[in-house]
Amino acid sequence: MRHISQVLAAVSLALLPAAPVVAHHGWAWATGEEFVLPGTVKSVRHGNPHGTMVLVTRSGSWTVEIGQPWRNQAAGLSPSVLKRGTKVVVHGHRSAKKGQRLMKAERIVIAGKSFNLYPDRPS
Amino acid sequence: MSIEAVLAALEQAPAIAALRNSTYVYPLVNVLHVIGIALLFGAIVPLDLRLAGWRRGAGPVDPLARLLLPVAIFGLALAIATGLLLFATDARAYAESWLFRAKLVLIVAALLNALALRRIDWRSGDAARPRIARAGVASVLLWLGVIVVGRLIGYDLPPLG
Repeated sequence: MRHISQVLAAVSLALLPAAPVVAHHGWAWATGEEFVLPGTVKSVRHGNPHGTMVLVTRSGSWTVEIGQPWRNQAAGLSPSVLKRGTKVVVHGHRSAKKGQRLMKAERIVIAGKSFNLYPDRPS
Repeated sequence: MSIEAVLAALEQAPAIAALRNSTYVYPLVNVLHVIGIALLFGAIVPLDLRLAGWRRGAGPVDPLARLLLPVAIFGLALAIATGLLLFATDARAYAESWLFRAKLVLIVAALLNALALRRIDWRSGDAARPRIARAGVASVLLWLGVIVVGRLIGYDLPPLG
């Protein structure tokens, strides 16, 4: 058991690369290009750690990440505004992973009205 | 009532809905969960390493355990209490997550390992030493596993293979 510290160090090092590879918060996982996706809300989950909705679109079912509660509230996206059946146009960035139907919303347009989650970002 | 109905009802409980939609409380519960894990892991690792035979010269196990075990148990209790709250805010999704299930299995294994350790007769001296050492190493690895799969739940990784 005298080599326990070496074993522990090796195990920790082996585990290290697992985390950052898959990180999907922030914007680094998405493309830099602006992306627009029209569709109808199939389901939406408001709430922590951040909201998610599933959109039915012409190109199939998409998952759209929205903000955490305070950001959604600040943008005016309450559960009564953004709910099942709402027709939306989502502006934001899609996942950089090819073929993955996942995007993060910057701004959501409902019936011509803009709800801006990230007023500081161009969208 | 099916398990799914129970979990859905849990998610809809007013206090849980408030937590899910809170600005500050949810992050605070998250912080306390991490602090609980830090206290548990930070206290149990030195004790486990000592059980495994590392730094035997640092002194007997008993006073070390009297210092570290209460800290580890407090951390465990804090992590469980806050973990239940976090689970409740999205209970059905967590219950379906293979990483969350793996985490529960590892927690149960780590606790059973700890209970088994307590049942070893310490008076048997050198004869029990290899068993105690193995349990110490297992404890470190199991809690390490709990932290790894626990942190990965949020990334919704597909199963390996």
